[in-house]
Amino acid sequence: MADNVADLVLDGNAAAGCLGEIFAADITIAQIQCEACGSTRPVGSLRLYAAPMGAVLRCTHCDGVLMRAVNTPHGRWLEMSGTRCLRF
Amino acid sequence: MNDDAPISRGFGSARRAQTPKDRVPPGQYVTTDFPILSAGPTPQIKVEDWTFALQRGGSLIGKWSWAEFEALPQTTIKTDIHCVTKWSKLDTVWRGVTFDDLLKAAGVGEPAAPYIMAHCDGGYTTNLPVADLIGGKGMIATRYDDLPILPVHGGPARLLVPHLYFWKSAKWVRRLRLMEHDERGFWERMGYHNYGDPWKEQRYDGD
Amino acid sequence: MTGTETATAPGRRLEWQVAEVSEIVIETPRVKSLFLHVAGWQSHLPGQHVDIKLTAEDGYQAQRSYSIASAPENELLTLTVERVAGGEVSPYLVDELRTGDRFQLRGPVGGYFVWTVATRGPLYLIAGGSGITPLMAMLRHREKRKVAVPTLLLYSSRSLEDVIYREELTVMAQHDPNLQVVHTLTRNQPDGWVGYRGRIDKEMLAETPPALANKPRIYVCGPTSFVEHVSNLLVELGHDALAIKTERFGPTGG
Repeated sequence: MADNVADLVLDGNAAAGCLGEIFAADITIAQIQCEACGSTRPVGSLRLYAAPMGAVLRCTHCDGVLMRAVNTPHGRWLEMSGTRCLRF
Repeated sequence: MNDDAPISRGFGSARRAQTPKDRVPPGQYVTTDFPILSAGPTPQIKVEDWTFALQRGGSLIGKWSWAEFEALPQTTIKTDIHCVTKWSKLDTVWRGVTFDDLLKAAGVGEPAAPYIMAHCDGGYTTNLPVADLIGGKGMIATRYDDLPILPVHGGPARLLVPHLYFWKSAKWVRRLRLMEHDERGFWERMGYHNYGDPWKEQRYDGD
Repeated sequence: MTGTETATAPGRRLEWQVAEVSEIVIETPRVKSLFLHVAGWQSHLPGQHVDIKLTAEDGYQAQRSYSIASAPENELLTLTVERVAGGEVSPYLVDELRTGDRFQLRGPVGGYFVWTVATRGPLYLIAGGSGITPLMAMLRHREKRKVAVPTLLLYSSRSLEDVIYREELTVMAQHDPNLQVVHTLTRNQPDGWVGYRGRIDKEMLAETPPALANKPRIYVCGPTSFVEHVSNLLVELGHDALAIKTERFGPTGG
């Protein structure tokens, strides 16, 4: 298992399938702006945490949570309060 | 939802044959690893700077430095833990301060509030009924297998509530806030079950 | 597929499809390639991945992601899987799976980590172990399209036996003056090995040929620690962080 702390994180691109159940367009190539620090990057380049439970996408600049998504048998959840805007 | 999923011939049989059914909640499998799942980067916390707080409403009812916390009565337990991602780990040994002893140390007889929100370094939160912490059911653990808990596993201190799914055993816990009304924490507001009893397979909101 | 290739057109729902194993090829002692038939497959872009889902007889399910190793120009969809000791899914795929077996597959997904000939170059690909997979899709696509994009693949493997697609890469480079394939072997090197040894370091990354000096598109793929290590070095060497695309495979490398 992961001894190295850094091993736990993935790229936003890896959340493409999970987010693809919610967004019709390919969100990994969308530009996303962080509400906390204002920096803008493609969603695919964000840091992805907690992948087995859902997707927690964090800003590479300030580590703020930009987006969370969970797919459950009872519905799909999406939260984007950390996103200032998303541009496809 | 998956009624027409094709069966993958031969998948999974070996692993599930090794799972003791009465010891392990439904849908779980036993692992000898200790998988790590985090919602964010591992906070690097220095114990010299670490404090732990117990709050009710807006008031502080207890606060401890690391040295003070270590001086509180210590309890060691051996227990099984169950992650909502389906792995279970048996006979894990933890040491720390039970919630009961924490309340005693704060001079609080009855918690006088039914719910708790755990607040952690890095911003993670989880909520649970106080009833699920008292009577030895919950502790703030500082040792795993006799060694200080590694940062990646929640050290220097994590909440430990083994009878619920392990996302409730919040890593890097710093503050327990007593609440009159239940509020949902990080995963509970994102589709996960508000309570999380593994024996009832309460993984998701709606289970 | 012509210039504006969009494998996932807006408005199309992502659904689970059924993949059937058509052929299995042994690549290395730990690695096999699975050639799949997916009814209704609508092509993909080099670098994209799929999510697969296995369902056991008692209904238990496990899900994993795998990069597509084939180019869109190849006939069958190919996944290349490395057996991870103690893993739940990869030992099944590598040791148990037979032709005719079926599992669910969703995709293609992940338009961010993509390179097509339309993107142009120069192209700098850096692979750690099974991280070669999506980069191989890019190289196979590049070869099929016969474009003269200056390209360097720097590929880190444990030993020569562990180099995936070794023959194919050698032949590809032999026939293409614009493609250079450079290996480093981290644990064992054969007698007479004159190539790089050990983990990728700053010197290796600095020794890129002049053709790639002009703002290359950089793709790094492999275990998370490998990707972070290489990306940090590239930035230290002066590459623009935004020109580096990464695909971390996690702790077990996929």
